[in-house]
Amino acid sequence: MRFPALVLAFLSFALALAQDRHTLSGYVKDAASGEALIGAGIYLPAIKKGTATNAYGYYSLTLEPGTYTVNTSYLGYGDRSITVELKADQVLNIELQPDAIIAQEVTITGKDARKNTESTDMGRAELDVQQVKLLPALLGEVDLLKTLQYLPGVKSNGEGNAGFYVRGGGPDQNLILLDEATVYNASHLFGFFSVFNADAVKNIELIKGGIPAMYGGRISSVLDISMKEGNDKSFHAQGGIGLISSRLTVEGPIVKERASFLLSGRRTYIDVITKPFIPDSSAFGGSGYYFYDVNAKVNYRLSDKDRLYLSGYFGRDVFTFANSDPDAPTFRIPWGNATVSARWNHVFGPKLFLNTTATFSDYRFEFKADQEFFAFSLFSGIKDVGLKMDLSHYASVRHTLKYGGQYIHHTYTPSTVEARTGTTDFDILAPSLLIAHEGAVYVQDEFDLTDEVRINAGLRFTGFAHVGPFDEFVLDEQGERTGTRTFSGGETVGSYFALEPRLSARYRLNERSSVKASFNRGQQYVHLASFSSIALPTDVWIPASREVKPLIGTQYAAGYFRNFLDNMLETSVEVYYKDMRNLVEYAEGAEPQANGNTNYYTQLVFGNGYSYGAELFVKKATGKLNGWVGYTWSKTMRIFPDINEGREFPSRWDRRHDLSVVAVYELNKRWNFAGTFVYSTGQAATLPVNRYFVEGNLVSEYTERNGFRMAPYHRLDLAVTLNNKEQRKVKDKTTGEVTYRTRRWRSSWTLAVYNVYNRANPYFIYFDNEGNVGDGSLQVVAKQVSLFSILPSITWNFKF
Amino acid sequence: MTNRALPLLLSTALVLALGACEKEITVDVPETEPRLVVEGTIEPGEPPIIILTRTQSFFAPTDLSSFAGLFVKNAVVIVSNGLVTDTLDMVCSSILTEEQILLAAEATGLDPQLLANVDICLYSTTNPAIYGEEGGVYDLRIEAEGKTLTSTTRIVPAVPLDSLWFRLIDQDGSDGDDSTGFLWARSIDPPAPNNFYRVMTRRLNTGDDGAALDATFAAPLGSTSNDQYFNGQAIEFIISRGSSSFSDPEDRGSTFKRGDTVAVKLISLDKASYDFYRSYENNVATQGDLFTQPANVRSNIEGGLGVWAGLHAYLDTLVCIP
Repeated sequence: MRFPALVLAFLSFALALAQDRHTLSGYVKDAASGEALIGAGIYLPAIKKGTATNAYGYYSLTLEPGTYTVNTSYLGYGDRSITVELKADQVLNIELQPDAIIAQEVTITGKDARKNTESTDMGRAELDVQQVKLLPALLGEVDLLKTLQYLPGVKSNGEGNAGFYVRGGGPDQNLILLDEATVYNASHLFGFFSVFNADAVKNIELIKGGIPAMYGGRISSVLDISMKEGNDKSFHAQGGIGLISSRLTVEGPIVKERASFLLSGRRTYIDVITKPFIPDSSAFGGSGYYFYDVNAKVNYRLSDKDRLYLSGYFGRDVFTFANSDPDAPTFRIPWGNATVSARWNHVFGPKLFLNTTATFSDYRFEFKADQEFFAFSLFSGIKDVGLKMDLSHYASVRHTLKYGGQYIHHTYTPSTVEARTGTTDFDILAPSLLIAHEGAVYVQDEFDLTDEVRINAGLRFTGFAHVGPFDEFVLDEQGERTGTRTFSGGETVGSYFALEPRLSARYRLNERSSVKASFNRGQQYVHLASFSSIALPTDVWIPASREVKPLIGTQYAAGYFRNFLDNMLETSVEVYYKDMRNLVEYAEGAEPQANGNTNYYTQLVFGNGYSYGAELFVKKATGKLNGWVGYTWSKTMRIFPDINEGREFPSRWDRRHDLSVVAVYELNKRWNFAGTFVYSTGQAATLPVNRYFVEGNLVSEYTERNGFRMAPYHRLDLAVTLNNKEQRKVKDKTTGEVTYRTRRWRSSWTLAVYNVYNRANPYFIYFDNEGNVGDGSLQVVAKQVSLFSILPSITWNFKF
Repeated sequence: MTNRALPLLLSTALVLALGACEKEITVDVPETEPRLVVEGTIEPGEPPIIILTRTQSFFAPTDLSSFAGLFVKNAVVIVSNGLVTDTLDMVCSSILTEEQILLAAEATGLDPQLLANVDICLYSTTNPAIYGEEGGVYDLRIEAEGKTLTSTTRIVPAVPLDSLWFRLIDQDGSDGDDSTGFLWARSIDPPAPNNFYRVMTRRLNTGDDGAALDATFAAPLGSTSNDQYFNGQAIEFIISRGSSSFSDPEDRGSTFKRGDTVAVKLISLDKASYDFYRSYENNVATQGDLFTQPANVRSNIEGGLGVWAGLHAYLDTLVCIP
């Protein structure tokens, strides 16, 4: 393997610094399953320095020779203290025991808490998947994305929706990575369930501010999800049966402690349950809806220095509307994501860790309608193939450098339509597939300037080019076609380059508190254009091109972080200001249409937006009672010259106040109680102010975009989980002696109640009219639709 | 149809699957100054007809007298074709005879009973020099209530219907319905692009009460189309029945019956008028639709709302026999 000159330069620089020092490095793993632990804390009290493991569980510390106590901690695991006499470079792999296996009560560790004030991280949150599983969930479906919405600065897109908005940014501004592959549409069934099966997920981290240079392509947040690798010591299975779906995950070694696999599946059975009630003979026989997900992963440790991972996700939603009447139309609407990532970790030396990832993602949406006289089909999708290299260089205990590069080849199908009426086939030109290249290189350094000041500075250089073949229609002022401009294969239609500075800094006030500040700028080369006010699979991804400028996001944030009660309570206050340029929306009155005969961006209008706010966060990560309280005050506005007559208007996800409370109480090893409460300012809505009549029909006149507020949203959910007994009694038949043996088979029941006090939260509001204006019988009313009333659910889970 | 099918299905699915509930609420609507609304048309061989109303607060009273109060009287309405400029006369329904009311209803699309019950005034002329002609360009200027409204439209050539026929829905007889169907039509779109169409229908046969089934022409929902996808081609298309908003709710529907005598208008119009009718129908159809972003109707009236439309209809009549 040859290094680029840049890398070599860094290496020699770092080596010069590191003379007479030795490196302690290795992996931190779960002792029971062999799973690498991401973000585990390594702390050396003697020098008050530490580090955290990377996404593969690797750490590296370069130190003066000497004897050190190495404290390792990870939430949900027992702490471990190891004394090391460092005389030469040394590999130290550390295994931590999960709490569940340790006999004593839950260990209280200060690891996460210390990270709160020590690191330069801002606006960052990790979810504990085990804790998420205890929280009440809609219809019992454990949902990682909906749990994220309980964090300050993260908002949901309305009732029951998994779509999320970070600090005033749209749902397309979140970079959602599943094992480093991009997931374009992270939800099932119109947003009610997310595509991530919690049983297959090891770690989930959200970065909503101070985004480091290693991430790019989206301006608002990064959601980094790591799938489990699979137990490399013994075979295990877990699963569950819920009201609407069942899950099963199996994992185990392929070659013990060298290679392992994980296979996880989930399928809903609404269609199976409703089938008996819709006999095939009925008018709608054959109609139904279901979704399924499959996650699979294998990994192989070639040597201490090399490790291979191959992981994939495949999910589909299928909605079928059939009709026994042969003259009536039938519909079929499949959509879904697929991702594959292949990764190779290589440790060049104790200080240099390389990860190479090849990724593939595919998102597609289809709609097919068929009837005797009429046929219609629509297809849209994205296909990405990418390659990425990331080097982590643990230069010294004060410097951690990361650099790397990324290339993605995008293929977009904006909307392809075929239609026929009678014997006439519509003359719809096939839109050219849009081909684009996206590339980035970055470098970042996290370093201690003084004992008090730590800085994470980075620079990312990105480029994007939309290339031919592409036909662009030349339109006159009336939007009528006058000609075509043809770009041949490989010819650049539009290209953009940008330097994206990223900076965050921490100033430690004392052992328990610090202040932090960050600045980051990013460019995003793809937009999501949405017709409706809710997230639908029909939303179309639109790449940047000559006429469609990339989104530019700039964020400033500052915060005060403080721990209380011996690091039991972590608190923070963050303020942010975010500026967004070149946002897109469909023009007022735009209609879904085929792209073949017009330019794919014809119906779009462009504008800007901003958001600012303050976020308060209090978290108790350990103890019998744990959870958090988050409160956000924020304002999110949009300014589009062609919308709302150019006047500023609130964004759809502008909520002035937003409060979340999440609590889990572990009564004992068998009983767990959990509750969540949310309150937020009502959603903005556009409603007519005036009416008039044309041909006797009532026409609505809208004045202010999002000028109305629905009633506030609030809801309480509760859940109780009962685990089976951890140990079983074994009576020796001959001696009569009673012993207790730990069960391998574990099962639990979770009873959850959604919307406990049955609040009719507004989902949307509309004005309706009935009757005839000509005879005075016209009636005009305002109506509010609410989705989920009080909804109990029960889920049975098992593992062995 | 295709635009509506998906949202309709999805919302049905939502409601079925999850038992959504709905309740009436009170919403405070801010008061704004009323705007003037024009519904003006001009056709070859016909005088211009202008109906002038105003907007009102969404939850304003809905009784007949408040509806009648929306019609603007004593406006100065001037139409010019470049050679002739004519100030239109105000005609109020209270002075019309029963026969004249029927004619007025036919010309305006307003309900004859409404014209008889409420004093509705509109603007027109008997000066043939300003009647519509193919290729004519017509300027409109209105002065009323301290406001000035202007617009321009043109009358484009009509496109003939090649053929027109009736087809039963239940083709194979499996549903035992041998009388309900749609009209089908064939037409050849002119070779030049940018043709815009609107379809209207009227059943001429009388009902049991002896009155015509449809007092006026009415447009079915989704009555507009353009040749973006079939420029210069022969096209077969389905025509469903238009229901006037004034018609008997029990007689609403999109189908015709065997034996109906149906007059069909294939109207050609310019882009601005087409944009108005299309966005107006969308505005009406998407009220209460969660899946669309609410949008105002696109008007070609400077200083007000509504439309000033040059229309050119090709008229054909068919007796529905499959």
